[in-house]
Amino acid sequence: MTLDHGLDPQVREGLEGLLLAMADDEFVIGYWDSEWTGIAPLLEEDVAMSSIAQDEIGHARAFYSLLGELNGRDPDAIAYDRPPDAFRHCRLVDHPRTDWAFTIARRYLYETADAVRLAALADSTFVPLAGLVAKIRREETYHLAHAEGWLRRLAEARPEGRTRLVAALRVLAPDAATVFTPLAGEPDLVAAGILERPSAALADEWRLGLQPLFDELRLPIPGPAADPSTGRTAHGDGFRWLWGEFTAVRNLDPVATW
Amino acid sequence: MTDPLALDPILPPRERTHLPHNDARLSHDERYRAFEAHVHAGGKIEAGDWMPDEYRESVLRFVEMHANSELMGVLPEREWILRAPTLRRKLALTAKVQDEVGHAQLLYRVAEDLGKPREAMFADLLAGRTKFHNVFHYPTHSWGDVGVIAWLVDAAAIVAQQALRDSSYGPYARTMRKICWEESVHIMHGRDVVVTLVNGTAEQFDLVQEALDRWWGPLMQMHGPRTPRDKDRDIYWRIKAKTGEELRQEFLGIYVDRIRELGLVIPDPDLRYDEAESTWRYAEPDWQELRTVVTNHGPRSQARLDFRRANLEETAWVRRAILGAPATAAA
Amino acid sequence: MPTRRKPHLEPYEVFRQEKDGDPMRHGGSVMAPDPELALHYARELYGRRQESTRLWIVRRADIGVLDDPDWLQPPLDRSFKKPGGYVMREKLDQARARSGQAKRVAGAGRSKGPEGG
Repeated sequence: MTLDHGLDPQVREGLEGLLLAMADDEFVIGYWDSEWTGIAPLLEEDVAMSSIAQDEIGHARAFYSLLGELNGRDPDAIAYDRPPDAFRHCRLVDHPRTDWAFTIARRYLYETADAVRLAALADSTFVPLAGLVAKIRREETYHLAHAEGWLRRLAEARPEGRTRLVAALRVLAPDAATVFTPLAGEPDLVAAGILERPSAALADEWRLGLQPLFDELRLPIPGPAADPSTGRTAHGDGFRWLWGEFTAVRNLDPVATW
Repeated sequence: MTDPLALDPILPPRERTHLPHNDARLSHDERYRAFEAHVHAGGKIEAGDWMPDEYRESVLRFVEMHANSELMGVLPEREWILRAPTLRRKLALTAKVQDEVGHAQLLYRVAEDLGKPREAMFADLLAGRTKFHNVFHYPTHSWGDVGVIAWLVDAAAIVAQQALRDSSYGPYARTMRKICWEESVHIMHGRDVVVTLVNGTAEQFDLVQEALDRWWGPLMQMHGPRTPRDKDRDIYWRIKAKTGEELRQEFLGIYVDRIRELGLVIPDPDLRYDEAESTWRYAEPDWQELRTVVTNHGPRSQARLDFRRANLEETAWVRRAILGAPATAAA
Repeated sequence: MPTRRKPHLEPYEVFRQEKDGDPMRHGGSVMAPDPELALHYARELYGRRQESTRLWIVRRADIGVLDDPDWLQPPLDRSFKKPGGYVMREKLDQARARSGQAKRVAGAGRSKGPEGG
């Protein structure tokens, strides 16, 4: 069922793009994080990381559902029934899980960026989104605390933890800001009060926010995204492999009930 | 649902001096007899109590194999976490595998409090000195396996686990109660997957039937060969309450009808309920296969142990980093 | 001078409260290298299903244990401290017989008081 919500068609198109981007971000990072289930460095940590991954998939599900109300499609169909190039997740989450340092570095960069993005949607004039964001932000406090704790632990673990962490941050640096890749139709969303501020401003705020902790731990702060125009459209081999995995069973019969 | 785990704190390491077996002034034999009497009267043993060596070793071996099985049992299922065909199934399967890891944690904790460090248990598992249950040595081929494992393998495990909720070893009994409460969701998830498939296309139905054809043998072997109750030392010490055959009968009593009502065929033409003897009759399980498999010669035994070994090596640096100490050989 | 503890995994006991107003009950333990991770792990092992409203996480080494039977189960009579130490049935029967009154029964205007008292 499509809900009208009284939206202007252009605004609506921009909103659908925003929801898809956020849903895909959570979906893809949730998948990578869920790979640690059963193989994390410590049994207790295994359970913790798995909860975080499940939360992310849960957030993706909520965003796909909201998008589905706008475009009349089933959330599972939106998530699973498209080719890899139709995904709109940012390059930051496109990278595979790699090792624990990489996962933690990427989680921290993503969580802090997502926090800024969510804050800019907290008072969205699109009420269903504001409501969903309020719930998600409450769950995210746990994720942020966990990611920050591990960032510190690794940064202070000399030499090996720190070396791996710094190496991971260097690999991720060109892609960290892709969370803030400007969306098509963004000016319409800002004008309609759906998104509080443009992505470029949010990126600056995010980078400033990283400073205190990164200065304290003497970690390099990522700069602007390399190749921003493809920030949400260039997908690597790792993601294509993942796509093969998460569509494997469904593609046996996409119209069947699983 | 109320968590049945609601006992007062029992904290190691001090001994509970008012129990005779804990009285250091008595001879070993007197303490042994007092211990026996306590256990046979339904008394509980805690981590800090005096125990005969045989009891301590038996409990540790039992708990350790259980913990190992949870840890290894994660591997066949986690392959499908990425492949789950809907968002809800993905969440459910991830949560289920997470629970298995959580159960491994709970059980390794019980064993650790008996004095064996986690790293030593991992080392013994990887070296083949300790075992894990047969069902986790087999491959998974399809989403049908995911349903059959979550429903029937878990059901067979739960039948065993419920019989352990009153184990004489207190920490283990309490852990089993928590585990049984958590497992109840898994069987429901598994059954839901299976029922959805049998109600679907012909190909989906075949996925389940084919999986059932492969898993029935290992399922029937899972509780072990028939052994006389009076020779079972784990029953003698009340570590467990039921024999393997009793558990198998219980499993069949509940699940044969539930499988057949879905239109699935159980691949044992001899399987029937003998009204006169009030017992299920079945084709003799392949005990040779069981022996081969649990000694780590099953189809996936070595591959999974290798995977675990590699994973522990890859993540050793993390443990070193947060513990500030050199990693031991297996961690 | 206290020596700085080298980080190592150690047990933290977890107590949980199922719903508001319930007592804290022992749930189990987690291994963690520090109190912060112990908190996360306690939440995961004893609270990820929304089954608790509060958790207490305590380093096992910090818990004081008293189980000396001389302190907790001392041998001399203390029945004056317990309700079971006041059995009055015979005395009450005697008193009622003397006053000619049968045992009072709860009815209009009467309520059943505390058991025994």
